[in-house]
Amino acid sequence: MPEKEKLMSMSEAIERYVKNGDVLFLGGFVQQEPFAAAHEIIRQGKRDLTLSKSAGMSLADQMIGAGVIRHLITSFIWNPLPATAHCFVRSVTQQIPHRIEVEEYSLLALNLAYFAGSLDLPYIATKTMLGSGFDWEQNESGAKNRLRFEQSPFTGERVCLVPPIRHDVGIIQVQRSDPFGNAQAWGMLGENRYGLQSCERIIICAEEIVDTDIVMRDPNRTLVPGFRVHAVVEEPWGSHPHPMAGYYDMDWLYFAYYERETHTEELFQRFMKKWVYGVQDRKGYLRLLGAKRLEGLRPETFTSEPVSYGKLTRHFEV
Amino acid sequence: MNETAESPTPVEQMIVSAARLIKNGSVLMVGTQWPVIVSLLAKSLHAPDIAICLEGGAVLNKIPDRVPFFTGDPVVNANCVLLGNSFDTLGTVLHGGKADMGLLSAASVDRHGNINTTCIGDYTSPKMRLAGSGGACDFGSLAPKTIIIVEHDRKRFPEKVDFITTPGYLSGKNSRTLAGLRPETGPHAVVTTLGLFHFDQEGEMILSAYHPSASVEDVRENVQWDLKVDDSVKPLEPPSEKELETLRYRIDPEGMYLRNARLLRGIQIAI
Repeated sequence: MPEKEKLMSMSEAIERYVKNGDVLFLGGFVQQEPFAAAHEIIRQGKRDLTLSKSAGMSLADQMIGAGVIRHLITSFIWNPLPATAHCFVRSVTQQIPHRIEVEEYSLLALNLAYFAGSLDLPYIATKTMLGSGFDWEQNESGAKNRLRFEQSPFTGERVCLVPPIRHDVGIIQVQRSDPFGNAQAWGMLGENRYGLQSCERIIICAEEIVDTDIVMRDPNRTLVPGFRVHAVVEEPWGSHPHPMAGYYDMDWLYFAYYERETHTEELFQRFMKKWVYGVQDRKGYLRLLGAKRLEGLRPETFTSEPVSYGKLTRHFEV
Repeated sequence: MNETAESPTPVEQMIVSAARLIKNGSVLMVGTQWPVIVSLLAKSLHAPDIAICLEGGAVLNKIPDRVPFFTGDPVVNANCVLLGNSFDTLGTVLHGGKADMGLLSAASVDRHGNINTTCIGDYTSPKMRLAGSGGACDFGSLAPKTIIIVEHDRKRFPEKVDFITTPGYLSGKNSRTLAGLRPETGPHAVVTTLGLFHFDQEGEMILSAYHPSASVEDVRENVQWDLKVDDSVKPLEPPSEKELETLRYRIDPEGMYLRNARLLRGIQIAI
């Protein structure tokens, strides 16, 4: 298949590939969170999205507060300090800005749902979530979900059947990608691999764009092959305030700031006006943070020995 | 410890009591908050050969230079022998039956060791909404022994939780196995700032030991049901000098957990 370069700006990528009403997967398990992309989605006023994100965190919280989410698929939402995710709580308890529907799974069950989605399996059976409040045959919690509880045809034991979750579009922030979308990530990968593979369209946001040759010298690190990717955006610091292994630390104080600046709806709107609506793009956001703050987040370099996959040229000598 | 060292706080007693339950050589699934510091304390003292598995896909193998705020703290990255996908820990280790123990924090725990971290009040119209499961439900469903570590407060110990985020012994007796959960799994102990609890044959929490400065009556008053008490109930062994020094000066010198510094209260932040 002839490959073409897919480099474009964040605004173009979001405009072209994220549609109102989409089921949207946002990758990142605390690390590699696509904050820059989420802010652009909010700025473009996308609506009625289903957000699918295993680790909720403040990114999901902001999107809920901004009103772009209708339905949420997740395993948890919190501010990692730990502190309350205020927009999520306001939505569920006070219908502000509206009440989102929440479809919850345990973290393993959600990983299995993504796995089933990526392989196009009809369902996958597991021994987790049995007896929990989400086990509707055991409880009357009123929690709505798409789980089923059946006897295994093989062993007769009771199992939880997890449906496949597929996404219209998926976005992740990674360390590096070539211009074709061969994207490489390292750090704590969580659900990223199968979450991304269960998406029809994929947008890769990368700290750095590198030559394909760099990717090919260490292909174990590739999260998704370029032929599955639709857009590649070069977006340094795109995961801030969350971390990117080897590039920047978590901006811990920002989470306390976020918690304080969003504990009422009015404050949240002020926060968004400053950090999202009031800037044109990620560069504007980074200017607000200032170079000094960003430099303070850079870790010391800590490298392993380079690995060699071996360069081979022929089978044997006769 | 020097002469002027302060006596152990209830939180320090809780962390030390929980760490002592960890056997060297065991494979642990470690959840966020208290389990992080409990497992690190055990690893630096009597259990250097434990495997600390985290839900994001990490096997932590070293005491990091800074104590992780939570299990996704990027300091974990360069202190691991394996860093991969959630399937590598929650999947093949925990679901695959290779873990010995799961360590969890909780918002509330009930008489049968069920944990709630989802909501206060009714699920469909909650008074307060909490974070949700993350990997907690998986730990509680699948781990052979779950240790629950929680700061004691009467509100946190209802007879029945509002929502079962993480299954314990459900409604007691054989209800856990009837739900289909594997035999030989479930809560093993609850460790709090007031005491240490185990579970009897009925799957009901029973007080095994109490904090040295508290009494059995104090503990009974701080749960919302008629608490069973083990015949051999006794005060908890206070932290040794070595345990306390390791905890305070090696693992958490910044007081992130011991003094709640990670909540960043009272710090002026202008960005």
